[in-house]
Amino acid sequence: MADPPNKVRRIVLGISGLLAFLLIWKLSETLEWARQGTMPDLFAVPRAAIDEWTTGRFLPAIGSSLIHYVWGLSLGTGLGLLVGALAATLRIFDELQNYLARVLRPIPPLAWVVFAIAWFQVSHAGAAFVISIGVFWVNYFATYTAVNNVDPRFHELARAFGQGGYLARTFKVTLPAASPGILGGVRTGVGQAWMTLIAAELLGVPGIGQEINSAAGVGAYEAVVVYMLAISAVYAFSDMIFAAVERVLLKWRP
Amino acid sequence: MPVVRLNNLGFRYPGTDRWIVENLTLTVEAGEFLAIVGESGVGKSTILRIIAGLIEPQAGTVEIAGDADRTRRRRAMVFQDSRLMPWRRVESNVMLGLEGLSLTRDDAARRVEGVLLLTGLADLGHRWPHQLSGGQAQRVGIARALAVEPDILLMDEPFGAVDAMTRKHLQTELIRIWQASGKAVIFVTHDIEEAAFLADRVVVLGGQPATVVREERLTVDRASRLESIEHSGISDRLTASLSHALPDQMSGL
Repeated sequence: MADPPNKVRRIVLGISGLLAFLLIWKLSETLEWARQGTMPDLFAVPRAAIDEWTTGRFLPAIGSSLIHYVWGLSLGTGLGLLVGALAATLRIFDELQNYLARVLRPIPPLAWVVFAIAWFQVSHAGAAFVISIGVFWVNYFATYTAVNNVDPRFHELARAFGQGGYLARTFKVTLPAASPGILGGVRTGVGQAWMTLIAAELLGVPGIGQEINSAAGVGAYEAVVVYMLAISAVYAFSDMIFAAVERVLLKWRP
Repeated sequence: MPVVRLNNLGFRYPGTDRWIVENLTLTVEAGEFLAIVGESGVGKSTILRIIAGLIEPQAGTVEIAGDADRTRRRRAMVFQDSRLMPWRRVESNVMLGLEGLSLTRDDAARRVEGVLLLTGLADLGHRWPHQLSGGQAQRVGIARALAVEPDILLMDEPFGAVDAMTRKHLQTELIRIWQASGKAVIFVTHDIEEAAFLADRVVVLGGQPATVVREERLTVDRASRLESIEHSGISDRLTASLSHALPDQMSGL
């Protein structure tokens, strides 16, 4: 694009897009494009939001989901970074995990729900476990790739200046050099965790997922929309915080 | 007294039987400025990396004189691609080689300050590498090497990637820094004129495997080298020996 980005234009067009979406939504409801009673009433959504709030269901659901989210995300991110970095820097570890990763990687996190229930019953831990699996793989691959792509000339530099030991190289070259790729993975994980969260909670653990499920069960589709928007807002907030942290950590980049 | 002595050095890449360097014997005196010239790929950088301890020779020995004091390193390398760590500020890049030495934080900071001053970078310590020009980045590379107070400064075509004007300026700067620091310099380049302008002694490397094909000692004062007839005679001889040393397959070009 040759034109410099125009902020006002972006905002105006962005809002227009949103309004067009809402218009189509309202039209689809009025013209009954979907089976009657299954399309949430746009204008009833604010009322539903107030109802959810006043009945005292909204905040506990968000709080409960955040517990799953924070634990699942932390566990998956921590282990993903560790295993990815070890696999990329220690040959023996890489060879040991090579086939294992290929076997386990394609299994979708939700397939583990069965074991989550068996091992942790319907509990916070079970939901966090399912979330952590998806996050783990995202971080594992991002870290593995980023570390493997570190320019070997930096390792030569480190050796030439007496920093050739494993720990010195890891902390002075590998991790900082790989940090943009690693943080890219962490950020993807932040989003991935939300995707899995709702599905993990559909199994009955208290949280947004469960609220969506029970609201849908009684045809309260406006309440479903309220929780969907809540997810969107919490995600936007967490991504904003992450972007700020990333800016600080990567301030050395042009 | 020699600070570096290479005895019958030989190198080939592991798993191959083609020798890159063979039977190379060379000494470098304390405080001497030695230039090694040769065509690209002849093995100049390989020799430098062997002296730096980054790769092991398959034959011969490398002797480095001097004590292994815990407050400095005996060898330091300046790379062609300045090779600054983009995630460290200039002063932190210069600090790299001091980490792990027996220096107090204050001593290390003073050293960094000193070499930044010497290399004309006193005001740039807080910058990120991407905020530097090519010439400034290269000077940071030199400062980083000087900070460890080495006996030998190993320079691998350090000005090969900067423009002609900056290059001239950096060459003059290097002579000033070298005279102020008193280190021995081994300067690798493919540019005869650069070698003949900078060095006390020029060694021409040629052949396959590479060995010393000519050696010239330059006695003309650096300030008058550009105009001196005697000096241009030496440059001509070096150029002639370099073209003789070219591999056969290149002579037809």
